[in-house]
Amino acid sequence: MRFEEELIELLPRLRRFARGLTQSAPDADDLCQAAIERALKSRDQWQDGTRLDSWMYRITRNLWIDERRAAGRRGVHAPIDEAATQVAGDGAAEVEAGALRDDVDGAMARLPDEQREVVMLVLVEGYAYREAAEILDVPVGTVTSRLARGRDTLMQLLGEAA
Amino acid sequence: MRFDPATVTAYVDGELDDLTARRIEREAEADPALAAEIARHRALKARLVAHYAPVAAEAVPDRLRALLNDTAKAPVVDTSLATRRENRRWRLAPAQMGALAASLLLGLTIGLRPWTPAAEVTERGGALVASGELAAALDTQLASTQGADAAVRIGLSFRDREGRICRSFEGAALSGIGCRDAGGWTLERTMGGRTTNAPYRQANAGALAADAAAMMVGEPFDAAAERAARARGWRR
Repeated sequence: MRFEEELIELLPRLRRFARGLTQSAPDADDLCQAAIERALKSRDQWQDGTRLDSWMYRITRNLWIDERRAAGRRGVHAPIDEAATQVAGDGAAEVEAGALRDDVDGAMARLPDEQREVVMLVLVEGYAYREAAEILDVPVGTVTSRLARGRDTLMQLLGEAA
Repeated sequence: MRFDPATVTAYVDGELDDLTARRIEREAEADPALAAEIARHRALKARLVAHYAPVAAEAVPDRLRALLNDTAKAPVVDTSLATRRENRRWRLAPAQMGALAASLLLGLTIGLRPWTPAAEVTERGGALVASGELAAALDTQLASTQGADAAVRIGLSFRDREGRICRSFEGAALSGIGCRDAGGWTLERTMGGRTTNAPYRQANAGALAADAAAMMVGEPFDAAAERAARARGWRR
């Protein structure tokens, strides 16, 4: 199959992953667009016969991390961060947990980027720990510990009846 | 509980070797706390999957497709069966999504109690088809008249989007939904049956109902419609 065709087939999943990372529909599509452009530019680096999906997820995730770092340097905080800080500042964990019981977006927004990306890759996208580790370029142990922390938080926020 | 939390989640994530996975399954049958822990993690996973699934089901915006179509210099038709199937599955009212979250447990519980294929199920061209006692029950048994002690209990009968007649059933080892086509009853859904451990059995029953609701066009058959459908040999 041609590179472009394979990429088009991948787009629905990639948009889902990007939505989870960015927590915003417009940001997610901007991120996907940037990732596609990057992929087309560096397609020589993709080796035919290797998995295009992992490669694309990796590009997407790295672009998002770059974006977040750049925003941090500019002193721009994403609205998500502000919301999370405000809620955390209240210190009313129980009230908050109740409020978020039906709100997966709200709960996911509370996770640090490094946990959210692992939760998306393993729990939503269904990658094996090893595959997620390769996409993120971290050891498998890092994936499992971040995943465990992310899970604990989500479980707490979304309630027992998650 | 003899298994640490990391092992339990690794089990839920499908990361354990077969031997350890089987040990944890055996243990869960005797240990309600462990079974509940597994169910809790499955539920979280199912909820996340259900939450993000609609995004993957949306039409990809033109501006993204265009980036690739222009390069490809040819219209690309998405013919992936899996994608189409996924789209069809998720093109549902938001109200149905919640019910479907439960049905996702289905996929995650397969393998917990592997059934013995020889008895009730055969494989044909990559699809599972009912045979033996199960096929007989689907062919002849009416939900309205079946005995309380029937080996296979028929649940709902209904018509799916393709116009086929489908019937949900619960057996000892296997439950699911079979849809009638030329070659017999193709099993569109399968999951553990009556002998499955309680928490999973409950989730299965919910999943089966949600799946049937998602597949169904119109109302489920009443006793008269069920009888009439049987008289026509379950043909569409």
